[in-house]
Amino acid sequence: MIQEKIRQKAKELLENKTVDLIIGFGEGTLPLRATPLFIRNPEEVDRLIWNSFCENNLATYLHKFSQFKVGLVVKGCDARSIIALSLEKRFKPDQLFLIGVPCQRMVDRRRVKKAVKGEILRAREQGDQIIVEGEDFKTALKRDDYLYPSCQVCTHRTPIKANVVIGDPVEERSLIEAHPEIKEFEKKSPEERWKYFEKESSRCIRCYACREACPMCYCAECFVDSPNPKWIEKGLSPSDIEFYHIVRAYHQTGRCSGCGACERACPMEIRLTYLTQKLNLDVKELFDFETGIDADALPPLSTYETEDKQEFIK
Amino acid sequence: MGNGLEKNWEPKILAFLCNWCSYAGADLAGTSRIQYPPNIRVIRVPCSGRINPLFILKALQNGIDGVLVSGCHPGDCHYLSGNYIGRRKSATLKRFLEYLGFEEGRVQFSWVSAAEGEKFSQVVEEVTRDIKKLGPAERFVKNDDSGKN
Amino acid sequence: MKLKLDKKDFNPFLQSLMDEYDLFAPVQLAEGVSVYKKIDRPDEVDLSTSNPQKPAKEVFFPQSEIMFRYEKTGKQHQVTSTEGVERKRVILGARPCDIHAVSLIDHVFSGKEYTDVYYANKRNATTIIGIACDHPLSTCFCTSMNGGPFSREGSDLFLVDLGEAYLVELLTEKGMAFSQNKFLKKAESNDLNLGREIEEKASKKMDASVPVEGIEKRLDQMVESPFWEKVQEKCIGCRVCTYLCPTCHCFDIVDEALTNKGQRVRNWDSCLSSLYSLETSGHNPRSTNRERTRQRIMHKFNYFPKNFDRIACVGCGRCILYCPANFDIRQTIKEIQKGGDK
Repeated sequence: MIQEKIRQKAKELLENKTVDLIIGFGEGTLPLRATPLFIRNPEEVDRLIWNSFCENNLATYLHKFSQFKVGLVVKGCDARSIIALSLEKRFKPDQLFLIGVPCQRMVDRRRVKKAVKGEILRAREQGDQIIVEGEDFKTALKRDDYLYPSCQVCTHRTPIKANVVIGDPVEERSLIEAHPEIKEFEKKSPEERWKYFEKESSRCIRCYACREACPMCYCAECFVDSPNPKWIEKGLSPSDIEFYHIVRAYHQTGRCSGCGACERACPMEIRLTYLTQKLNLDVKELFDFETGIDADALPPLSTYETEDKQEFIK
Repeated sequence: MGNGLEKNWEPKILAFLCNWCSYAGADLAGTSRIQYPPNIRVIRVPCSGRINPLFILKALQNGIDGVLVSGCHPGDCHYLSGNYIGRRKSATLKRFLEYLGFEEGRVQFSWVSAAEGEKFSQVVEEVTRDIKKLGPAERFVKNDDSGKN
Repeated sequence: MKLKLDKKDFNPFLQSLMDEYDLFAPVQLAEGVSVYKKIDRPDEVDLSTSNPQKPAKEVFFPQSEIMFRYEKTGKQHQVTSTEGVERKRVILGARPCDIHAVSLIDHVFSGKEYTDVYYANKRNATTIIGIACDHPLSTCFCTSMNGGPFSREGSDLFLVDLGEAYLVELLTEKGMAFSQNKFLKKAESNDLNLGREIEEKASKKMDASVPVEGIEKRLDQMVESPFWEKVQEKCIGCRVCTYLCPTCHCFDIVDEALTNKGQRVRNWDSCLSSLYSLETSGHNPRSTNRERTRQRIMHKFNYFPKNFDRIACVGCGRCILYCPANFDIRQTIKEIQKGGDK
């Protein structure tokens, strides 16, 4: 039903020339995948799909299509990224038409792959299950047991400030109750926490897929490429890799919508959202701010309150 | 913490002091002949709000044992609101560094005014003592080659 | 010569290699993530995954490689060369596609005109033990690219997993150096038959369905086609494909300098970065993703064939598996062959 309504809306927008281009999702070429789809003709709308594999944050494409009027299919997190981007004046608000879809949360295809022995050749959703088939197996998995880490803690599944919302809004959780992983992690000693970060980041191959997948990373010159000052080298020094990840995450303070695109893009399966989720939690605790919820709230690091907490300052 | 600690290890602490308040306060401590530990190396910045978190990280990467960032008291900033912006950056960075596994106390913050020579020396005493307890910085220090053959 | 290695002898066999060679093999870094690494213990080797994320070319062309070191003490400068290879090397468990890729980049690093001493020294010192793909993935298309799951080309030794043992084929002079290894027994005829069965089964799975015949000429005609604007739409320029591609070989050389010492380092680079072609003047001949995506495809299927008469793709499928946007080169090739109309 959602899929049909998306197609109808897209058709309408293209026929009325409200937008030049629709960016949504189409069928992927692999099981458990959908792929970003770009259509300009009303006749093509039947290629649009909606399912639990529509994982990409399509807001990241807006940087490339800034000269067009774009209709974008957005989940809760994607819509938040767009509000964050419009606060940073990356595009004019009337350039976009947001087709919002309350998100059922996306399936972690890598974990599904690890749950079976052998290559998955076909997969489909059936009710609350994912049925995966290979050469000599067919297994039904409970969909909600295989969500992405970012989706497991999502607190804004219904897009805010979309031009139209297709489907019924879902019940949201509060930010604080959604982060058991962080609270557990904080119970570990500093040594254990550093060892975990060291281990995760040691797999990094400096491909910067995390940076490119992130809608908020759009700097013309990223700090890693700055020759003067040269912050880090371009090799595989563990210290430089750690520096990169600490700073890339920190640069999302007050900007990250928690979409998890960074983690999904990483070919080495490095846990990245456990860093940004902590920053999001802190920004909520310290400044009562959540990215992309209030289109008028200034990014927290660009402003201040005279009464900001300062118990840590001597 | 502090395996292989040399008997006479003295921490190296980087102190970012804002020109108008904290640096002047440090200067006052000097002219008043107030004694304080010699472990700090001062970098004068126009305002505590100028501090780029990357400075702190770079210092830690280069092997500095501790970092102090000090600015004007809230309401007294020479640039009116620089220290307020700096306060938000400091708060978020401190929490993030501790979450990552940096020891609490490696990076510290203070408000020291131009008239607070005494306070400045006390802050340096406290920070030096804290860092001595933590031992030399080991996390994240770059002492390797970038490439492998 | 065809020999056999019982799996119960696998670890002792590896140890016997390690006594003489530096052994590079797939090592698991996390579940589902593995790379080629120099191993210290036989039990580190993990041959269970179909293909490690990072390709075997790493053994000859490391991602980050020191070219020389220098140090100034007093008034003296000391430069230390890092060109030499201290011990002979063995790569264990490289797939035919990765080995095929190495022979392709041999043309660049160790070809008729130029010899890259860092690459060549490692290459000459290395014995390649390939392993057959008895379960090719649906994303594998090596047979379309002049390869195959059991292709022995480029291997000095070749392993076929028979279940309880490996069939070990000694194919070259380097391979024959292993003929006296005490863990390698003579292969019996039923071993050889089983090997042939497995090979047949695997070959049946490959359908050679990606058409590359004449693609170079097609691309010659398409340089300014609107096809490139369309094909790059979903690409976010994340560079994962170039970092995992077994034939990619672009690099960037940087000097890492401290006050009195430093090193010159060569790091992998990617043509998909906007910075890659940015000139000092500020001009960038490949300023948008359109030019960069076009360049990647042209390089593999047009420029490299022009230079070396071979397509620089081995059909390993990594770019398909790991692209965050599901850009599928098989689809792109088919569209190109149709003249670029979607």
